Amino acid sequence: RKKMSQAGNLREDTEEAGPSVDSENPEERIAARRLRIAARSEAKKRQELGDDSREKKEIKEEARKSQHQVEQSEKVPLGLCYCYDGTELVTNIQVAADSRESQHQTEVEEAHRLRVEKLENEAKSSLEKFEEITRKWTVAKMKEIPQDLRDSLSSQQQLCALLIEDKNKLIHELQKEMKLSDDRYVKDLKKQAEDVDLMIERMEDQVKFLMGSYRDELDQIENSFEHERKILLTGNRKKWEQYTKERRDKELENVTQRMKRVEEYEVLLQQLRTEDTEEYNMIKIKLDTDVQILEQQLQQMKATYQLNQEKLEYNFQVLKKRDEENTITKSQQKRKITRLQDVVNNLKIKCANQEKQSREENQNLTDDYTRIMQQYKHMQKKMRHFAAIDAKKFEEVWLMNEEEVKALVEKALDTDRLVHEQQLGLAWQRPSLAFMERCGPLQPQRQTQKTAHQAISELLQEREGSEGEHSGTVSVKMVKKLLELLCDEAGFLIESKLLKLLSPLEKDEQSLMKLDSIFTAMGIESEEDVYKLADFFMKYRHTQGEQTQVRRGGGREGELAASHQPSMLGLGGRDDTEDAAYWEAMGDVIPEAKLKIWGALEAALDKYHIVLTERSKFITDTQSLKQQNTELRMLLHQYVNSRVCVVCVCACDCIERVCVQNVFANLTTRPLNLSTFFS
Amino acid sequence: MTATMSKSPGAGMYPPVAKLNLAADPRKMRRIIAEDPEWSLTVVPLLSNLCLQHIVRNFEEKPILEELLPRHKDYVLERLSPSLPLQVTANLISDDGYWKRCCKQRWGLCDVSSYGHSWKRMFFERHLENIIELYIPDATDPKTVLGMVPLCRNYVKRLDISQLMPPIKEPQKSEDDDNSDSASDMGMDGPSMDHFDFGILLDKLSHLEEFHVVYRVKGCGMNFEWNLFEFTFRDCESLAKALKSCKTLRVLRIHQSKVDDEKCRQLVNNLLDHPSLRELNLSHNLIGDRGARAIGKLLNRSKLERLTVYDNNIRGLGAQAIAYALAKNSSLLSLNLRLNRLGDEGGQAIAQALLKNRTLKWLHLGGNEMTEPTATVLSQVLVQNNTLRSINLSCNRLGMDGGKVLEEGMCHNSSMVECDIRLTEVGQESDYCISQVVRNNRNQAHRKHNTDENLA
Repeated sequence: RKKMSQAGNLREDTEEAGPSVDSENPEERIAARRLRIAARSEAKKRQELGDDSREKKEIKEEARKSQHQVEQSEKVPLGLCYCYDGTELVTNIQVAADSRESQHQTEVEEAHRLRVEKLENEAKSSLEKFEEITRKWTVAKMKEIPQDLRDSLSSQQQLCALLIEDKNKLIHELQKEMKLSDDRYVKDLKKQAEDVDLMIERMEDQVKFLMGSYRDELDQIENSFEHERKILLTGNRKKWEQYTKERRDKELENVTQRMKRVEEYEVLLQQLRTEDTEEYNMIKIKLDTDVQILEQQLQQMKATYQLNQEKLEYNFQVLKKRDEENTITKSQQKRKITRLQDVVNNLKIKCANQEKQSREENQNLTDDYTRIMQQYKHMQKKMRHFAAIDAKKFEEVWLMNEEEVKALVEKALDTDRLVHEQQLGLAWQRPSLAFMERCGPLQPQRQTQKTAHQAISELLQEREGSEGEHSGTVSVKMVKKLLELLCDEAGFLIESKLLKLLSPLEKDEQSLMKLDSIFTAMGIESEEDVYKLADFFMKYRHTQGEQTQVRRGGGREGELAASHQPSMLGLGGRDDTEDAAYWEAMGDVIPEAKLKIWGALEAALDKYHIVLTERSKFITDTQSLKQQNTELRMLLHQYVNSRVCVVCVCACDCIERVCVQNVFANLTTRPLNLSTFFS
Repeated sequence: MTATMSKSPGAGMYPPVAKLNLAADPRKMRRIIAEDPEWSLTVVPLLSNLCLQHIVRNFEEKPILEELLPRHKDYVLERLSPSLPLQVTANLISDDGYWKRCCKQRWGLCDVSSYGHSWKRMFFERHLENIIELYIPDATDPKTVLGMVPLCRNYVKRLDISQLMPPIKEPQKSEDDDNSDSASDMGMDGPSMDHFDFGILLDKLSHLEEFHVVYRVKGCGMNFEWNLFEFTFRDCESLAKALKSCKTLRVLRIHQSKVDDEKCRQLVNNLLDHPSLRELNLSHNLIGDRGARAIGKLLNRSKLERLTVYDNNIRGLGAQAIAYALAKNSSLLSLNLRLNRLGDEGGQAIAQALLKNRTLKWLHLGGNEMTEPTATVLSQVLVQNNTLRSINLSCNRLGMDGGKVLEEGMCHNSSMVECDIRLTEVGQESDYCISQVVRNNRNQAHRKHNTDENLA
């Protein structure tokens, strides 16, 4: 902005302080002219701009926005041109100095060149002269005449003087030049100082001018503000006066109203006062009477109060004593409570110990139980195994015996047939042997099983029948009794937990539940099984009573007591009543009559035997005789061989042969006689 | 305390009568003194205040600051003496108020805006500059400079060395005092004329961004001697190495230091591929064509954005070298070749380069002895190039014809915002036309700028 101001100011200063048109320096003149032109154009422009700015300000005043106004006046481009032109004005001096300097440089250069030329010329000419002189020296040396020599010497001297003079001249000239240039330097310095002063002056002027113009602008802005303020002030004052007037009126009105009201209120107050005094008197009288009554009452109340006080004091004493008693009893109770507390604690500890013990016991027992159960199961297994083996053995034994018996029967029959056919000569008829056919090696057992089943079913039927026939009530009773027994006896089958649970129930229900659990433990599921069980017990008692099947019953008693298993019941129910008959039938194959015949036959045969033994005795006798014969013959031979008795030997042989044949013939005929003997 | 203090001037002012009469002193009669902010009813100062005062008094031996409450910290900072040794305060105190007091006490006139509004930075930069400016080689201990490094390393961003002292040894008698060339020759064989070696300093300042240096003596007055204004080869060598080692440097300015071609080449050689250098200013030196060639080489081996070599001795050949680099360059934004001797040869070369270049925005070719032929090429540039914003052709004898040519070129241009053709002997008409076009462009740009701002 300063520069702008400088520019503005310069315009006016140009005429006074700037390079003048009349100056000697042509550059200065040119610069001055240029400045004048610039100044004129500037002046024109400034007028326009100034007008513009003023107009603008007025417009803004109308707009009444002071801020806006300031901005606008800032924007006024009046400085813009000033800036450049102002700097131009200032730099004009510099430019002029520059041009001077460059001119000076060229001049110096030129002068330098000239000087060098001159010096060279001078050097050349002086050299020539010097050469002339030297040449003359040789000429002078040639001279022999002293006058000539003096002349020549003087001429030489003159020449030398001339040369020196020339040189001196040159030196003088150069010194002059130097002095000139020194002067010039001083002048230049002065000129420069002047220039600088001028520049400063111009700058200051510019600053002044711009400051002035800005101040004007500022004044204008301030004026506008002032104006605005005045308008505002007058407006506000008018309003203020109006409002104060209104207020005054209102206050007056209020005052009059208040006066009126005060008067009214005073009248009212008076009225109220009289009314109130009357009322006051009335109430006073009434209250006096009231006071008297109340005083009387107070006396009464005091009397009663005295009485009550005494009573209460007595009561208080009594209560105090009671309280003391209570405290004593309380302390006693407390002591008791502590004692009991101790007992309770002891008992609790004991109970805990007990519980612990019982728990341990229980644990042991359950362990035992499991162990025993395992053992029991093991035993059962063994038992079943043995039962199976027994059955098999039984079967084998049975088969073996049967075979044996059958063989015996067959043998008996065979012997019977032989006896009949050979000894008695009778026709033998085979007796009807149905059982012989029936009992093949495997058949008899199956049949017995079947029969066992059948027997059981029959038994059941019988039982049912008997139930239906005569003792329906008895059997129900029996069953009930039996179940109760079972309940009591088979308690070990029921779980301990269940027992605990059942304890609060009724007896019937208890037994029912117990039975249910027992049955589940035993595997009895249907009604049939129940009846089977009952039947078994009945039968067991029956058999015990009759003692017919001691062997088996005894064996089975333990079994039953242990297991009560229905499968065992099925096996144990095998019937052996038939067996005896069966075996007896086997035994009775040969009837009594036949045995009698066999007895007779035996006797006859015994007699025959005796006969035969006799015969055998005879045979042996004959044989010994024969031996004697042969020995005799041998002796005979020996004699014959002595050529005398050959003929006799032959004759003896023949005799012998005849004898033996006779004996055999006797023997063969005998059996025929025997048969005839038997018949 | 304040009451008595305020009383004393009153007592001094009035005759002894006032002293006798207590009622005459109005302060004695008042219960509350509202205009004195320090006044308080309490007679005995607070213990905390006493402690703080003690801290302030013994700050040099035992600096306690960070541990204090913010309120107390302010109290202490307000009362610390600005003359405390820097070893204590440099890295401990960051409060600007303290450093403001330091600056004011030391220099009186301070413009903090040019130091990024940081008083601390200003203090350390100016302090270091003072030390270097008063450094006399061989006489001053380099530790005075190096001792400052750890204290000011974090705060110094710019160094503006306005003078460098030569050694005090008996200056060698120069034969020709009036000739600058011979004086510079003298510097080469006078090793004793070396100045402060920046190599020991620059690589340690890790935040240095700007470095301005002038190899001369300020205010020598009548003790003037040419060899006070020397920039020896060894100086150049050490400076170049130091610059190379300073990786954060952004701006380098070496003014009025008689940098000739050789030194320029040496400097440039060490600045090649510098990672952060953005601005190079070698004005008021003696750089000729060879130096210009070196600068041209630098243009495309760095990220330079601003190159300023005005008031040098660059002629047509050097300008051609720069133009060659410029044609291929894509980073340079500003080029200033004022007051050189480019002539038409150089001017044309630069203008030709501008036909290709698409980044340069600001060009100053004032006072370069250019004439009409350059103007014709530049008019082409004006037509074709639309990145160039500002061109300065002042003090060149373009002549009437050149002006017309430029005017034609300018008619087709819409990007130029500044065009300086003062003192170029251009006709008034073309001058006027050109200024009109520039003004239009400027207004457009301004409007665009405004709309952009409003949008933002």
